[in-house]
Amino acid sequence: MTDARPTRRFAQLALVALIGLGVIAQARPALAQGPREPQAEQFVQTRAQRIISVLADKKQSVAQKKATFHQGVDELADVPRITNFVLGKYARTITPDQRQRFAAAFRVYAESVYQNRISDYNGEILKVTGSTVRKPGDVIVNTTISGGQLGQPVQVSWRVLGGGTSWKVVDVQFKGVWLAITQQQDFVSTIDNAGGNIDVLISQLQRDAQRPASR
Amino acid sequence: MIVRTATTVLLLLAVAGATSAHAGATSETPIPVVAAPDAAADMAQTAYDPLEGFNRGSYAFSMGLDRAVFRPITHGYMAVTPTPVRHRVSAFVYNLGEPSTFVNDVLQGKPKRAGKTTARFAINSTVGVLGLFDVAAGMGIRSHDADFGQTFGRYGVKPGPYLYVPILGPLNFRDGVGRVFDFFTDPIGLAGQGWSSPFGITRLVTQTIDTRANADLAFRALDQAVDPYATARSAYGQHREALIREATGQVQELPDFDDVPATTDPVAAPSETSTPATESATSAPASSEPAPPPAPSEPQ
Repeated sequence: MTDARPTRRFAQLALVALIGLGVIAQARPALAQGPREPQAEQFVQTRAQRIISVLADKKQSVAQKKATFHQGVDELADVPRITNFVLGKYARTITPDQRQRFAAAFRVYAESVYQNRISDYNGEILKVTGSTVRKPGDVIVNTTISGGQLGQPVQVSWRVLGGGTSWKVVDVQFKGVWLAITQQQDFVSTIDNAGGNIDVLISQLQRDAQRPASR
Repeated sequence: MIVRTATTVLLLLAVAGATSAHAGATSETPIPVVAAPDAAADMAQTAYDPLEGFNRGSYAFSMGLDRAVFRPITHGYMAVTPTPVRHRVSAFVYNLGEPSTFVNDVLQGKPKRAGKTTARFAINSTVGVLGLFDVAAGMGIRSHDADFGQTFGRYGVKPGPYLYVPILGPLNFRDGVGRVFDFFTDPIGLAGQGWSSPFGITRLVTQTIDTRANADLAFRALDQAVDPYATARSAYGQHREALIREATGQVQELPDFDDVPATTDPVAAPSETSTPATESATSAPASSEPAPPPAPSEPQ
């Protein structure tokens, strides 16, 4: 089979060329991605890292961590805006009384979800890698979180609204999945299936918040 | 008979593992996320799910099976292996998927990405001891995922109806067909004489447990959702569309955060209208239409 030889040589050449291409591709600097927003980046770097550090701090008791987390959420996130967003189309029809009860139940539920994961944090480091302005006052800040128990660094994006030195996070994206958008679909589906009755969602949130971590 | 059934289940899992092992590994390529606001964005978020009745049943069945079988096995595996060992297993499984990624890089017409994949596979399979260590990432050649669903999407194929296939998990028509293609074109699978060979079965079992272990946090998150089915559907759709944007270079159409979606459902008839007590919802001029930002450098 003398015919196989040129084919094999070609295959080897092609392989070497492709490897070279892959290595060269690394050498090219990444292109700039439009305007950045340094103050929004600074906000995410400081506030988000602080929460991660507190959760990983072994010197603090669980109760202390929960208290710090509760406070940190208000500093980091725009809770009223998120509360409105996750209701989706039902934000239009909710009564003031329901809104009040929903806001309280949602807050407790959301905190219990994250508090159940306190043990997952172990000294991760957050590093801002860039940001893009969608429109004035609406910015996506890209970060890499590494270290701790993570095998590989993970990319996390934060959507922040505000201006000047005053910013608040409204959504967080990981692996393409936005938390608030997903939460909205969860809640809207629940209310849809309850025939549009928002009280069903509220009572389910109250019940779920009491539930211990699944494992 | 039992053997045949077991083989069928394993085959199904193979198809699941073939892509989801890849999807589960951390992609280092930043996902394009920026876009000018789009009024139609609400539609993009809402899954097209005409088979919801069947899908919900299938979801319940699969979750029951997970509780009975896959979760205990996975948690046993996680209990007896230290995290660094599991990371090595993940890297090994991921490396075996690189040839399939290469095939799709080429089909997508992306020589640069194909070159990276080849370099990664060559380096990690040798210096990285059969893929146990991701040496290439340390050299700056980071991983990215590619599969046939993404390839179809790159050429404009729409996802089609959402589908929850028992055991296989969330899919849509496009990505389901993609899975079948992935299964039959996987170079490692073909080189290993199919999925029923000793190598094939070992790889399949390892991949399945590794995939489930990597997804454990996601499973825990689903447990805490109010409607886990809708949550999984939303997360899957967003994840897949982000992967396809990675191939097309398109930017995501995000909803304006303060815009409440229009009532499309007659169930929610506005009986009592109340003004939102939270915010006036106009912190930024919603009408300003900035030019779309330049496409990220990655595509091509």
